[in-house]
Amino acid sequence: MLMKRYELIVIGAGPAGLCAAIEAAANGMQVVVYDENSRPGGQLFKQIHKFFGSKEHKAKERGFRIGEKLLDEARELGVEVVLNATVMGVFENKEITVMIEDRVEHIKGNEIIIATGASENMLPFPGWTLPGVIGAGAAQTMMNLHGIKPGNKILMVGSGNVGLVVGFQLIQAGCRLEAIIDASPRVGGYGVHASKLARLGVPFYMSNTVKEAYGEGSVKGVSIVEVDKNWQQVAGSEKTFEVDTICIAVGLSPMSQLAKMTGCIMEDSPAKGGLVPVCNEYGETSIPGIYAAGDVSGIEEASSAMLKGRIAGSAISYNQGYLEENIFKENQAKYRSSLEQLREGMFGHKNKGRTDLLNTEEGFEISLNLLENGFLADVEIAHYPGVVSQERRKQGIVPVIECTQNIPCNPCQDACEKGCIKVGQVITNLPIIDGTAKCTGCGMCVAACSGQAIFLVNEDYAPGYATVGLPYEFRPLPQIGDKGIALDRSGKAVGEAEVISIKSAKALDETAILTIKVSEDLSMKARFFKSSKEVSL
Amino acid sequence: MMRIEEHPILKSFNKGNLVTFEFDGKSLMGYQGEPIAVALKANGVMIHRFTSKHQEPRGVFCAIGRCTDCVMIVDGKPNVRTCVTSLAEGMKVETQYGLTKKE
Repeated sequence: MLMKRYELIVIGAGPAGLCAAIEAAANGMQVVVYDENSRPGGQLFKQIHKFFGSKEHKAKERGFRIGEKLLDEARELGVEVVLNATVMGVFENKEITVMIEDRVEHIKGNEIIIATGASENMLPFPGWTLPGVIGAGAAQTMMNLHGIKPGNKILMVGSGNVGLVVGFQLIQAGCRLEAIIDASPRVGGYGVHASKLARLGVPFYMSNTVKEAYGEGSVKGVSIVEVDKNWQQVAGSEKTFEVDTICIAVGLSPMSQLAKMTGCIMEDSPAKGGLVPVCNEYGETSIPGIYAAGDVSGIEEASSAMLKGRIAGSAISYNQGYLEENIFKENQAKYRSSLEQLREGMFGHKNKGRTDLLNTEEGFEISLNLLENGFLADVEIAHYPGVVSQERRKQGIVPVIECTQNIPCNPCQDACEKGCIKVGQVITNLPIIDGTAKCTGCGMCVAACSGQAIFLVNEDYAPGYATVGLPYEFRPLPQIGDKGIALDRSGKAVGEAEVISIKSAKALDETAILTIKVSEDLSMKARFFKSSKEVSL
Repeated sequence: MMRIEEHPILKSFNKGNLVTFEFDGKSLMGYQGEPIAVALKANGVMIHRFTSKHQEPRGVFCAIGRCTDCVMIVDGKPNVRTCVTSLAEGMKVETQYGLTKKE
């Protein structure tokens, strides 16, 4: 029998694999993508939040919509995507064995890209095998793909971006998030993600770990305990929570077994999240023609995985003679600078794992309160360039941007047609509000901010009153005229509030903008609205 | 109620027909095509199996077919990963004890 042969075999139909396949197919290559799952897209279809980055990184688009676009693109370019196909072996001579249903096929490629992604790290503790202890990925799969709540009362373990983002999604799905805990003394993920939870009243217990999960048959509760500087449990510091679910989000590891199997040179790199193949700038391993792209070659965000896929796909197209040298060089430069942008900032490559940063790159003090409790203290707000003076606020509506860390993101700048918001060339810069530009209160910046950190404050509303416009992504949507309470950044009730407008438009992409009327002294405190009708949040 | 009625971002979920299946002799309802584990969750079932040595309960853990904690006996076949196996009308799902049914 003649062995099936493709010009390019891609293993894994996640963001990196799909982008690599699209890139190569667009250059005319014959590409097949194998994925062990029944649906393509990797984890993209579970990502319902808006992505960070800039326009070229598809920022402010929700992950699942990016996934839909990639699939359409792959389909149009004639990429063959084979699902329920588990690649069992990759060999040095660029042959693979793949199990499809109950048969095994042996296939040859001119070149191979391994884009197998990552798997979740686990945290063993007494009771960790009880039903009800799940991975954060499992929670996302259940609620965002299958429409079922993973539990009713949940403890999130891990304050990295996965823990924070999934924690927020659990509340969107209607679950109660009792707390977020982390053994580290500081929140690991973006401050803006933490703030979204803190203002809903979710407490952060830093320097805490799980002592024990308990329950007969399934989780009925959990006790947590403080850890000291040497990660030792502090006796007597236990707290217990009645929960039915414990969600583990303690990092990801590259799923590099297939890469290792090829015999290519591997390295154990803490910065990359574990054992990864050593790759050159194009993602090529030590074996010519075998590439690795995406999280398998180092844990990053999906946006970076897509670019790593494009870089590998374009390099392979060039090697196989499908791309002119000048276009190849142009593409590489474009993708590389785009990737470098995402790697800048305090969460970027060179700062990974650092806990000693005190100032932003511009020299603004980083809020310790944000790092330790998940929210900015009232007194800290005025320090940042996204917050205008009270004098300006008294003159009428203006955006207040509570973005205080160097993260790679700039959609707010593009969202404002009036030029009120400036991030500049370096997308990790903190946004600056130009108080002289005229804000119309359109709300586009509020919805464009993936971190939900922009509020429209109007201190010139009516004598004694101010209004605050805030992003709202929960159901049921409050109604105009609804009365309730305003919550501050820590989730504490600070006063009465009334909904005076609700904006929801296609351009806002499911982020409603709720404007509440509050007493004038609350304009810089009120950051969330809880309807008096509401019982659950 | 474990099913999400109205989601702020995703709105609703495309589900197949409502079908009947059997869990340890009881008749339950679920949507055709959704993972068996999801239908069980909607019915409040947390325990999928008991380990062979210590008879400890296990349930859904990774939900993507990787960890094999959620395996059950489906239509007589043991070790079926219920988180990635689609529910079908009349399916017979049983709690797994070690590698077999309860003796």
